[in-house]
Amino acid sequence: MKLDPAIRDQVLATVPNLRAFAISLCGNIDRADDLVQETLLRALAHIDSFEPGTNMPAWLFTILRNLFRSEYRKRRREVEDADGRYAETLKSHPEQTGRVEFSEFRAALAKLPSDQREALILVGASGFSYEDAAAICGCAVGTIKSRVNRARTRLTDLLAIDSVDDFGPDRATRAVLAGGGRT
Amino acid sequence: MKTGKTVSIEPSAPKEDKPQIRDAVGRTVTQRKSEVRLGREVQARIGQQLRAMYDEVVSEGVPQHISDLVRRLSDQDDGAA
Repeated sequence: MKLDPAIRDQVLATVPNLRAFAISLCGNIDRADDLVQETLLRALAHIDSFEPGTNMPAWLFTILRNLFRSEYRKRRREVEDADGRYAETLKSHPEQTGRVEFSEFRAALAKLPSDQREALILVGASGFSYEDAAAICGCAVGTIKSRVNRARTRLTDLLAIDSVDDFGPDRATRAVLAGGGRT
Repeated sequence: MKTGKTVSIEPSAPKEDKPQIRDAVGRTVTQRKSEVRLGREVQARIGQQLRAMYDEVVSEGVPQHISDLVRRLSDQDDGAA
């Protein structure tokens, strides 16, 4: 059976987003590409279970996430260290640096529990609805909302510390006062 | 597999000559930027940076070996690899 080219193109069109999501799960580009490849093999082998006209990205994301949960996580000796390893991988991406603020953001993101980070990425970067994200993660919509909210609150806390230094009124106030000291 | 929501997919989805970064549901960066204005400043920054990080990977497009794999699998006559 040959695959409908329209379906094939939908699959291909989802690949860039699948990779971005896979990297956020694996924290490593090579592992992420392996995961994407396995996802596509599995998806194309079971393409009959995809209902044309429904949400192809959500279908592929679900397969990828299940695959990651069932196989990739098992391969890790220390599952609890997932977040630590994620943080470590981020540090080893020199091309991402340059802007201090950006690397601070990555560091903050790495401090989140993996379920919160995953929910935030699905909703905040992949652009899925809460409903789709819940279907992808196999949990309730309320759970996704709560994870996203907790992720945002935590990131806000972590990043607010920096913005006080960056945008705090002290320096400007001092400059004005110093200027006003002239007679 | 149920995904909770049905979305009709436009046939013109993959435009290869002029690559535009889209999220998984097909919105462009410009469309998403307008949403950011609604949030508070810090929330907006979080959203922008999250997307910047994600879009950096999305902008790499489809790696050749993955494109080849999908085309090979979709052209073969039966399910066997």
